[in-house]
Amino acid sequence: MTLAVLAGGCGSLTGPPYQPPAAQRPSQTAPQTAPPAGPAPQTQSPSPVPAPAPASPQQPSRQYQLGAAATALVAQARQQAASGEPQLAQATLERALRIEPENPLLWIMLGEAHESSGQYGLAGSMGHKALQLATGDPRAQAAAWRLIGDSLRARGRNPEANEAYARADSLAAQ
Amino acid sequence: MLGGLAAAAIYVMRLDRIVTHQFQGRRWTLPAQVYAAPLELYAGLALSSADVEQELRRLAYRRVAAELRPGTYRKTGSVIEVGLRATRFADGPRAAEDLSITTADGAVTSLRDGAGHELPIVRLDPLLIGSVFPIHGEDRIVVTPDEVPPLLPAALKAVEDRNFDTHHGVDPLAILRALWVDTRAGQLEQGGSTLTQQLVKSYFLTPQRTAGRKVREAIMAMLLESHFSKSDLMNAYINEIHLGQDGNRAIHGFGLAAEFYFGKPLSELDLDEIATLVAVVRGPSYYDPRRHADRALKRRNLVLKLMAAQNIISQAQASAASSRPLGVSSKSSGAYYPAYLDLVRRTLRRDYREQDLTEAGLKIFTNLDPRVQADAERVLDRELARLDRLHKQRGASLQGAVVVTAPQSGDVVAVVGGRDAEYDGFDRALDGRRQIGSLVKPFIYLAALETGRYNATSIVQDAPVSIRVAGNKLWQPENFTRENYGPVPLVRALAESLNDATVNLGMDIGLEKVAGSLERFGLDRAPPKNPSLLLGTVELTPLEVAQLYGGLANGGFRTTLRAVRAVISADGKPLKAFPVEVDAVAEADPVYEVDSMLEQVIERGTGKPARAVLPRGLVVAGKTGTSSDLRDSWFAGFSGSDLAVVWVGYDDDRVTGLTGETGALPVWSHLMADIATSSWSVPMPDSLQQVTIDYPTGFKADAACSSDLVTLPVPPGTDPPVKPGCPAQSFGAVVSSSVQSLLQRAGRWLQGFAH
Repeated sequence: MTLAVLAGGCGSLTGPPYQPPAAQRPSQTAPQTAPPAGPAPQTQSPSPVPAPAPASPQQPSRQYQLGAAATALVAQARQQAASGEPQLAQATLERALRIEPENPLLWIMLGEAHESSGQYGLAGSMGHKALQLATGDPRAQAAAWRLIGDSLRARGRNPEANEAYARADSLAAQ
Repeated sequence: MLGGLAAAAIYVMRLDRIVTHQFQGRRWTLPAQVYAAPLELYAGLALSSADVEQELRRLAYRRVAAELRPGTYRKTGSVIEVGLRATRFADGPRAAEDLSITTADGAVTSLRDGAGHELPIVRLDPLLIGSVFPIHGEDRIVVTPDEVPPLLPAALKAVEDRNFDTHHGVDPLAILRALWVDTRAGQLEQGGSTLTQQLVKSYFLTPQRTAGRKVREAIMAMLLESHFSKSDLMNAYINEIHLGQDGNRAIHGFGLAAEFYFGKPLSELDLDEIATLVAVVRGPSYYDPRRHADRALKRRNLVLKLMAAQNIISQAQASAASSRPLGVSSKSSGAYYPAYLDLVRRTLRRDYREQDLTEAGLKIFTNLDPRVQADAERVLDRELARLDRLHKQRGASLQGAVVVTAPQSGDVVAVVGGRDAEYDGFDRALDGRRQIGSLVKPFIYLAALETGRYNATSIVQDAPVSIRVAGNKLWQPENFTRENYGPVPLVRALAESLNDATVNLGMDIGLEKVAGSLERFGLDRAPPKNPSLLLGTVELTPLEVAQLYGGLANGGFRTTLRAVRAVISADGKPLKAFPVEVDAVAEADPVYEVDSMLEQVIERGTGKPARAVLPRGLVVAGKTGTSSDLRDSWFAGFSGSDLAVVWVGYDDDRVTGLTGETGALPVWSHLMADIATSSWSVPMPDSLQQVTIDYPTGFKADAACSSDLVTLPVPPGTDPPVKPGCPAQSFGAVVSSSVQSLLQRAGRWLQGFAH
């Protein structure tokens, strides 16, 4: 029991460290991550050679960031949204997503853009998509839950919304 | 007499109405222009300077040594300076500007504008990939007066209508001169029709050459001249005149002719190229520069001579231009993607009438990636040729289809409808419905995991199957190897595509659930609910398979596949956007488990030959598919950024002798290796944990008692029995090492408290 609790919350205890992706495709770069805070997790492979790398290593805690190109596009999208051009803002965020499709921050932003256009269902789905990608980054997970909460509340599903907000709050406190 | 005059007057008034009505209103049918996705450049993008140059040439940019004009580039070492053309994107226009691209070690390192400021991201102009032209076949690219090089109208006047600027529609002197030359030379060297008459002929009338027609044409030409200015008429002519034929597509206007013959925008043509197009005016068939190059060349040089004689160009310019070769591009060097255009048309037909698509001048922006498309076409052709040589078959060549998507967004990035992709024939990617065979299996395994009774390490029996089916017959499918392997872990049954294990599993969870899982992932018709569904007797197109597998690649989120990104009106107004949409159709955890098992297909299973071709360390996942009797060979698989589906088979449905592994897999793996994709690297959900088992048997094990270990994600609490004969101590050691690290962390935490 204790094993499971500790394993669930505190990041990797077994398995090799996170491997960055190999050769890059032109329209994608790896999601940018800051190095994990705190003591380095114990990394131990329970199965040395000849076993191959594990299916997907559990992530050390990380913090997603945006690369330079995506940052510039996000800034442009903010301007477009502020000037009352939500469609253009969404298109610009989609350009950023094509460059970093597995960055949860972009999914959250695009979800928020749909939220402000009144597309609450789609916003919620994007929140869930972001959540899936944000494993290991409590800040990003919290932001995703907040988006999910907003989309539920906008659709009148208040109890579920409150649950989502509660999860956001507890993750943000980590 | 008066009656005759009155009749004539009425006749003329009627013609006048026709002329003004047609000419003033919508002047031309403007087919919709279709564009590929623009290449986005940014620091860090994996693109060598050779790659950059290739992309610029694909967009018909020319390398120059001197001044940078729009449509040209300069290369010095690892720096490429580009004169970007004025262009239009889905989100607005962009003026012409200068760009400097620096690369190092195969990647872009810096982008600067004309003033030297660093740019974080820049788009190249989107490639024009085709137009949706109407059934009667006219295609054109309309050009405005400022897009027309001044030499063109000058040349047209010099050759076709010397007195254009002064006559009133008809030039009697020109007619006389032509008749004179005709009778003397016995061949048509100068026509007697003015440009206006030619315009009338092309625009209003059918090509009957009766005297009555000639009169009508003359009257209408004069009427046109009375209503419209010379520059209006010249511009109309430039956009209207028929200049070539491409199958059932009629090339109208100099804008399209420049693209069609030279692969360049009209504004970028050189003197000799302009002269060639003016030469073609007299007879696009007779002077076809591709089929009758010598005639075309001769007439081109005549045009140049006439231009020099009238002091439009100097003698020196004429001589220089005359000595150049025709320089006409080969027809297929222009971007032409019939299979992708097909998909675009089908998408838009839902929202637009045929007329809107072919007449309203819409601009359609798509998700096509020309580089991936080119790679896919090339790899398919090469591998099919190799397979044909290996498996010589009389009277038939293998065919194939490829669909590539970006699974996170649902963008359709490439569609190859068959070998010789430019041939506009049967589109196997969109219409080739074939049995998917083992491609169905991941959806069975997903349904099994979703019941909660199975995980990747669960044991399933690979034992002979015997099921009573309709007609009181017995269905007894066999494994491909015709052997059975007894109790095997789920991961192995999927990786090695064991038919009997899969059928046993499928019958246990029920066909309803399997069908349900397919439908959730986007299958738009109810699959037949009989046991053969478990071995994939359902027939799908490669595009439909891409839709299904997209949900697996995207962690249980379905995105509708989109070829079109946005539609803009002729004057730049956004009409319709096709945004990225996601919809959760399955819980993340079981999908993650299935994806991990699909990874093992490549590491250990029927997809293993891919490893030798793929870059080392690239994590991919996928599934082979072979239909019964080996008629269809499939592979569907994905990386972190791309999903590709490949089908290989014969059009006449004969037996190929190929499995998914020997037919489609080589195409898939070479394609994935070529397109520089990134690893599948979604983090394991917090709600799963890892367990290490002995791959052949499914027992928990470690290096001391197994030489074939695999680590898989499973629900917490999953605890397979330990492999018999495993030294208890060594296994204990594994447990204690993780307990040890836990205790160490707990210790540090406690220490923190103590301070």
